Amino acid sequence: MTEAVWERRQGAVTFRLPKRAAAVFAMLIAGLTAVLVVSLMTGTYPLDVSGVLSTLFAEAPNDTAETVVWEFRFPRTIVAMLAGALLALSGATLQNVTRNPLADPSLVGVSQGASLAVVSLIVAFPDTNPAWRPVAAFAGALLIAAIIQMIAMRRTGGATMRFILTGIGLAAFISACTQGLLTYGNIDRAQSALGWLAGSVHAATWSEVGWLSVCTALVVPFLFWASRPMAAIRMGNDTAISLGVRLRATRIALITLSVALAAFAVAAVGPLAFVGLIAPHIARRLARSGVGLHLALSAASGALLVGLADFLGRAAFAPIQIPAGIVTAILGVPVFVWLILRTQSRQQL
Amino acid sequence: MSVAALPEARPGARVGWPVVLLALLAFAFLAHIAVGAKTVPLLTVVEALVAPADGEFDHIIIWSLRLPRAVAAVMVGAGLAVAGALMQGVTRNPLAEPGLLGLLSGASFAVVVTVGFFGLAAPGWIPLIAAVGALAAAALVWVIAAHAGGGSTPMTLILSGAAVTALLAALVTLVNLLDEQSFEQLRVWLTGTLAGRRVETLLWAAPWMLAGLVVALGAARQVTALSMGDDTAIGLGVDVARLRLLILFAVVVLTAGSVAIAGPMGFVGLVVPHVARMIFGHDYRLIVPTSAFCGAIFLLLADIVARMALAPIEVSTGIVTALVGGPVFVWLVRTRL
Repeated sequence: MTEAVWERRQGAVTFRLPKRAAAVFAMLIAGLTAVLVVSLMTGTYPLDVSGVLSTLFAEAPNDTAETVVWEFRFPRTIVAMLAGALLALSGATLQNVTRNPLADPSLVGVSQGASLAVVSLIVAFPDTNPAWRPVAAFAGALLIAAIIQMIAMRRTGGATMRFILTGIGLAAFISACTQGLLTYGNIDRAQSALGWLAGSVHAATWSEVGWLSVCTALVVPFLFWASRPMAAIRMGNDTAISLGVRLRATRIALITLSVALAAFAVAAVGPLAFVGLIAPHIARRLARSGVGLHLALSAASGALLVGLADFLGRAAFAPIQIPAGIVTAILGVPVFVWLILRTQSRQQL
Repeated sequence: MSVAALPEARPGARVGWPVVLLALLAFAFLAHIAVGAKTVPLLTVVEALVAPADGEFDHIIIWSLRLPRAVAAVMVGAGLAVAGALMQGVTRNPLAEPGLLGLLSGASFAVVVTVGFFGLAAPGWIPLIAAVGALAAAALVWVIAAHAGGGSTPMTLILSGAAVTALLAALVTLVNLLDEQSFEQLRVWLTGTLAGRRVETLLWAAPWMLAGLVVALGAARQVTALSMGDDTAIGLGVDVARLRLLILFAVVVLTAGSVAIAGPMGFVGLVVPHVARMIFGHDYRLIVPTSAFCGAIFLLLADIVARMALAPIEVSTGIVTALVGGPVFVWLVRTRL
């Protein structure tokens, strides 16, 4: 199949960019901008497009508009989109490494591990700075991922389905721990933890935007480095080894990377289900591309998905706010089912 | 698997075990009644049960609070364990369980929507509503798994169960957010709890669960044949389609009764039948009654832990069963798949 590509094969910088994928990426970015503007417009104090634009780039029409846009809606939308992008990257990485289309951080217990760590922090040490949440989430998620890997790897080199099933079992165990902690904890703290657990971004402020961007900036460069070995691993373990990939070390590094991405997102917005599962598949459907570009497309799709989910949750039953996590779950399950149905029997399912 | 590969029944084991199980059940039952905010001596418990005296404070506690809860634990434990055993036998899937395959969430979703949101039904109808929900969820999970690549294997069943459970859980949260009053009513019930069970609830659920148990015991012999494979079962003269329908009825009814009493209580149906199978091998005529006994004992003990572990705060019993069941599930994945 021939495809229109932009390419440059000589010189210091070489690249090969399918035109369709680039166009899709541009469209996703346009969609993100549109969702951003619409999110800033809607709410109990509606604004029109010009009101939003003038508040953002010039003088606000009045103080209310200034507060509503800058203090509430803008940070919230940014956090939603960043978290969506991180979860999508995490899911895409996990799917590539395990070569399992069903891998998703919320399905294999990683999100739950992060949740347990954060809820422990909220309930047991309520005075700590929220900036410690991503650290705790990362530690908790990494621990769970390590346990799952250890259990799943023992026999037959970590068959990928066993990885998923082990994750489901551990996820149930950890959710029970979290629930127990909520019953045990002080009711006010439990209440705040509960809101966070539903996967909601309504309390997001600029401080969340700040540390989430820092975390993103720290981790994403690793993904550039990782896209090459990931492309090799996606073709199969034997191929990867013969291409010179140190399989074991790379696997562990990539899974750690994926866990970190998911953990930061979970620390900011709570466990948003199914984003890491759906976004990479949307990206794959939209355009054929190599691993690196696919990661970028996944991130954009994830950001769009969570931004849209947050907007829908806010607007659908206003004034009641539906947490974005509920919306992503309702959107995600049909995709998950479709993936189960589509998986061929020859794949070891 | 051929018939010869089945382990020989151990005649010696059969005589002793019923006595042991009965003794354990009796002890767990009495201990469950005895412990609590005010510990009642075992002797007083027996006395209260055998010859209740009017006006005796301990006796009033026991009859009005502790006894209904203990009976609820016995019914739910036995019901879910038998449902799990039947599902594992019929689907030949070591991981089958009402919770994992979506029946519990289907039942609780139906109850939350009809009772909580629309305020439609009189409470006596809860078991029926739960049964309809459980049946619908089971059918959905089965349809998804059957159409997946490779057919309804343990893997596809668990995955589609997880999918359906995730969707229903999200919808339940949605309903609860839209209607806070029903959330207040049903919040604790949704985590699977035996607290505050009233005698009426037990009476509504009892006929359903009894029907399910009778069917289960009656069909146990044929389930053994079916657990050896469809061909073997047909060769032995079993009407497989009819048996499946019968078992589906029993499973749904038992699950619905349990949900009506205690809300979705996960993993009881997974853990217990495996214990029963370790003791008695693969004969479902023994596994079904043993599962009922072990399930009752398991849930009584779990409920004691739930009440005592963080006293005076009470943890939901469903949390305790999940804490036990999660690791067992992982162990089963490692050893049986």
